[in-house]
Amino acid sequence: MTTTKEQAREPAAPADGRSAAGARARHGLGRVLATVARSAALFVPVFLVATFVTFALRSLSGLSPARIQLGEQATPEAIARVEAQWGLDRPFLVQYGDWIGGVLHGQLGASWTNGADISTLIGLGLGVSLSVATLALVIGVLAGFALGTLAALRRTTWIDRAVTGFVTVISVMPAFVVGIVLVAVLAVGLGLFPSAGYVEPGQGIGPWLAHITLPAVALSLDVVADVARQLRSSLVAAYRENYVTGALVRGLSPRRIFFTHVLRNGLGPALATLGLKFPSLVGASVVTEWIFGLQGFGRFANDSAQSGDVPAVQGVLVVSIVLVVAFNLVVNLVLARVTPAAQRGV
Amino acid sequence: MVRRVLSLPSGRIAVCVLAVIALLAASGPLLAPQDPLAAGDTPLAAASGAHWLGTDYLGRDVLSRLLDGSRVSVLGSLEVALTALVVGVVPGILSVYLGRTFEWLTLRLADTLVALPFLLFAVAVVALLGNGITQAMLVTGVLVSPLFYRVSRAATLAVARSPYVEAALVSGAAIGWVVRRHVLAKVLPPIAVALAQTVGTGFVIVSSLTFLGIGVQPPAPTWGGLLASDLGYLGQRPWAPVAPALLIMVTVWACNVLADALRDVSGEAGRALLNSRRARAHRLDEADPAPAGGTR
Repeated sequence: MTTTKEQAREPAAPADGRSAAGARARHGLGRVLATVARSAALFVPVFLVATFVTFALRSLSGLSPARIQLGEQATPEAIARVEAQWGLDRPFLVQYGDWIGGVLHGQLGASWTNGADISTLIGLGLGVSLSVATLALVIGVLAGFALGTLAALRRTTWIDRAVTGFVTVISVMPAFVVGIVLVAVLAVGLGLFPSAGYVEPGQGIGPWLAHITLPAVALSLDVVADVARQLRSSLVAAYRENYVTGALVRGLSPRRIFFTHVLRNGLGPALATLGLKFPSLVGASVVTEWIFGLQGFGRFANDSAQSGDVPAVQGVLVVSIVLVVAFNLVVNLVLARVTPAAQRGV
Repeated sequence: MVRRVLSLPSGRIAVCVLAVIALLAASGPLLAPQDPLAAGDTPLAAASGAHWLGTDYLGRDVLSRLLDGSRVSVLGSLEVALTALVVGVVPGILSVYLGRTFEWLTLRLADTLVALPFLLFAVAVVALLGNGITQAMLVTGVLVSPLFYRVSRAATLAVARSPYVEAALVSGAAIGWVVRRHVLAKVLPPIAVALAQTVGTGFVIVSSLTFLGIGVQPPAPTWGGLLASDLGYLGQRPWAPVAPALLIMVTVWACNVLADALRDVSGEAGRALLNSRRARAHRLDEADPAPAGGTR
């Protein structure tokens, strides 16, 4: 969305009216809209199929609220009554239509275990998880870009080999292993960070950061590794292009060559990786939130899955799908803005 | 292809490590020096002659538990990879031949599966469909299958449009014969790469699930479960998580190295590259434009 605003603002900026820049900006706006339309066309079927599979889980699972509320010794009549009360005796497609209608209005239904509104429960956990995930993404992008750029600028030297080796090591460390190591060393061993729990940002930015730093670092290593690797190889490839030689011959400064020619053309794969990494970031939050004792989205998913609370699990999956789709939309928009070649593909 | 992989040093190392892990999985319960389930009288002991890796909070021997738990991890990750292979490759090849509707349908399905956070989905499905590592791994295999779908589809597309396949079709060859004779040969190398990668991913997923206690019954030892129980006693035994964590990491690393080695030796570039290892060093030098970016 921010990209669209930027694009809309741009035609006004050059005061000299119908300059080439203005035309380019108008063209750019159309491009962004086209990207949004194409991404939406791609993601609507994704969303429908994914939610359908999610909903079909209940019939496949054979779980019912009656089991949770009445226990194992319930009479068939009591079970039938509870199921009718939850609307589970209607045809499958009617239930699905009803549910998807609610989902589109932001209503995910009520939990089987305590009847609470699932949207509210997920909203509570999402604040925690999104803080951690955002910080993880920031760390991942900053560190990944720094490492990848460093390795590409000093390629085939010992610095490059050191960075590549480091990236290989951190790419094989699962998030929960990193989490345990961080807890053992920084929280239990040195006492620098709290080992578990969460503090609202309203109670102070310092404690809030202290509580989410370790889980964010644990989540981010995977992103760091992938972004650094992709960026290094695409930057190295971009440096081999003829236009870089041409720019050198024209006497452009190394800094200008790097930022306007190499980085802009080499950015695409790294950004695309970011979009692909987001689902695993959401998935890994299940494990990291367990380690760090955060009452977040992933923890809620794990708890409701283990207690057989099907509507809650469905809600979690829907929210995660929406998150992934939204994030990929943003990545596509940035990609379309940064690297014009990216939208010829898809 | 096996011989070519083994002629690379990295390939040799990876194959050796994976062979050792496989051996542990096959004979781990026999090698275990003590009963992995028997509680001892010295809980949380440090490493010693009797317990090489110490004991856990119930006094059980950690080395025995590690060896005994390797089978779950290895079998689980193999199951993920093989499920993904079957679920991904067959529609991947068929999507080129079965017409546009099937192609569109499978492409959309692959898009969908990629968008699902598979760990979250695995947790959900396992919890809802019954507690068992087998179901968990089958579902995860389906969720990671788009990798195989894409890889096999891309290779099949490339081969299906090549002149010699068209020549074969013109001279009356059946589609099935073309697939068996030409397509499979081209599809196998990228699939082998994807398979090695997926086994590594499978290890991470199995460990994550068992870490959360999903898919196994409590007393049974698993690598992830060992880490989870160590987490509670970090104060007493800060070095306890090292052994299972290292095992997981080394296995995943070996899978990745094997995937890289396979990629290096498959295809024309890889074959040429292997003939003279000096050629590779030379090519790197040459590819570097003189004062690139003026950084030196």
